[in-house]
Amino acid sequence: MPIWNAGEECLDLEERAQLQLERLQSTLNRAYKNVPFYRNLLQEKGIEPARIETLTDLQYIPFATREHFSDNYPYGLFAVPLRDVVRIHTAQGTALKPTVSGYTKQDLLVWRELVARSLFAAGVSKNDILQIDVDPGLINWGQAYKDGAEAVESSVIPLTILTPEKQLMLLRDYKTSVLITSHSAATQMMHLVFRSNLNPNELALRTVVLVGEPPDAGIQDRLKHELHVKTWVHYGLSEVPGPALAFECEARQGLHVSEDHFLPEVVDPTTGGVVPEGVAGELVLTTLTTRAFPLVRFRTGDRVRLLPGACPCGRSLSRIEWLSSRTDEMKVIRGVKVHHQQIAYLLERTLGFLPNSYRFLIRSEELRDFLEVWLKVDEAIFSDEVKGMERLCLRLGKELTQELGVPVKIRLKEESSFQSLQLSHRIEDLRAKPFEP
Amino acid sequence: MLRVRNLKCYYGKIRAINGVSLSVRPRELIALIGANGAGKSTLLQAICGLISHWEGEIALEKASLRGLKPPAIVQRGISLVPEGRLLFAPMSVLDNLRLGAYVRYRRREHHRIAEDLESVMELFPVLRERAAQPAGTLSGGEQQMLAIGRALMARPRLLLLDEPSMGLAPFLVRLILDTLVQLREQGMTILLIEQNARAALQIADRGYVLENGQVVLDGVAGDLLADQDVKRAYLGKDYREFYEGRA
Repeated sequence: MPIWNAGEECLDLEERAQLQLERLQSTLNRAYKNVPFYRNLLQEKGIEPARIETLTDLQYIPFATREHFSDNYPYGLFAVPLRDVVRIHTAQGTALKPTVSGYTKQDLLVWRELVARSLFAAGVSKNDILQIDVDPGLINWGQAYKDGAEAVESSVIPLTILTPEKQLMLLRDYKTSVLITSHSAATQMMHLVFRSNLNPNELALRTVVLVGEPPDAGIQDRLKHELHVKTWVHYGLSEVPGPALAFECEARQGLHVSEDHFLPEVVDPTTGGVVPEGVAGELVLTTLTTRAFPLVRFRTGDRVRLLPGACPCGRSLSRIEWLSSRTDEMKVIRGVKVHHQQIAYLLERTLGFLPNSYRFLIRSEELRDFLEVWLKVDEAIFSDEVKGMERLCLRLGKELTQELGVPVKIRLKEESSFQSLQLSHRIEDLRAKPFEP
Repeated sequence: MLRVRNLKCYYGKIRAINGVSLSVRPRELIALIGANGAGKSTLLQAICGLISHWEGEIALEKASLRGLKPPAIVQRGISLVPEGRLLFAPMSVLDNLRLGAYVRYRRREHHRIAEDLESVMELFPVLRERAAQPAGTLSGGEQQMLAIGRALMARPRLLLLDEPSMGLAPFLVRLILDTLVQLREQGMTILLIEQNARAALQIADRGYVLENGQVVLDGVAGDLLADQDVKRAYLGKDYREFYEGRA
């Protein structure tokens, strides 16, 4: 399989280490100089950027977390003046305030390159018709995938929010050959294909790029066997700064991290210490070239393992194995990250108060994942009119769906439903694993 | 080819270079830009052994340059075209050029030195015309050519230039920079320091922006050229106003 940017992707390891050090140091200098948050973070520890003399010295710098994004809303973490920013993305954060990230012209070109190289590794080319179908919560990725796919000269059907049925219609009629979607949405699409009596052979689809969720071998096997497609997994960050920062190559031995632009570290989620190569832990990322929104030691919450040794594909970019569970309390629904605190905030905002008893469940109906919110009917919620209660459900459901970017159902439950329950107010995952071998 | 890691240089207690890492790969033309006092010249002087008090690593083809005196560094293959040319004004152009090869005479390379003299004259024909003239009588542009020619006489693998365009008329700047492009095409590796950021980035492969003794930006020259930050760094402006121009 050809390599998009062999110069960078197959760079000699020693050269890469030098390049990474140079880029890391200039990133730290910029962040220290231009972002008060990072300056304070380093000054509190008594570290100045020049202290970081090797890549491993990075471990002396404290972590940045998702909470810091909300604390610095909206532009607090930008490292360039606004007039240099050409795009501003909003993503839901863990709190009420969203995460705002910015991109300079140069940043957008870098993303274009990263997505292009990932798609190219999956064999996507100018002969492909590429359809992007991700949930509204991942809408920022739609843009990046469009740019990257245009760079490899595919014909792109950009992200449009359509019903699954319409998406399938497009897939069939437009003769889509590459589909970019989440595991859950792909499963649902497959289900729809068979429900509508469509023979997979009638589809031109041959490549499915799975994004947003850790790889699930069961789902990938089924896609392969039932839709006769090849699947490729891409790893990205939904809040910042984008998709496809790690990608699968034809060797299928983990995901290559685009290390010329990101420095990966794997740490113990409890102690924060860097774990030895090959040991599972939380992925921590530092941007090396990002101008507008640099990240220094950002804790992703994703569990990974750095794979040792060289990849037979010839790329020298190191590889991660993306593991299914997370190291934080976020849950991934259809590729979109959701935090229980954020749902609670939204409930409180919409209702005007926080209900005493509630429960958040992830469920699946007809292979369609959604979030179900149980509310206990008490004096505060009870209305003597059935219509009033229905209206409340509808309003809440709509608000939450819109805010979270994933489907939400509201269920009003009697007190008895909550008895004998240990309410943690965390999100409970009740999705069956339908394809467990 | 050249690899610098965590370089720190001091003038007494003042740290002029504060942890700079950079690299020059074979046959690359690298531009190092930045405002006055950013530490550009100090960096070159450290590489050439003109400043002995530095911390960090400087290595040419993986061999450290630590503790080497300037003549030894010239012998390793690094030549400097210093800021302000520093020619020997009363001496003839020819003698200035010959002096550039002073480390080679001891190795009895007379024949090859004569060849190199010829190729420098070909590169800068005006030097042939003025060969017998005292160097001090040359115009600014000619002096700069002589300074570059003299550096080339040491047969460097890596050529360092400190502000070669300083004080020259724009068309002469163009001429000098075109010569550098020509040299790179012949296989030379070049590290160029310039205040004239635009001109330098136009011919460079990659660039580094130095500010207060630190690298604040690095990348492909074309990208830096388009960069707002570079314009600011070059102009020496600050980030004081974060929301510049936008309320």
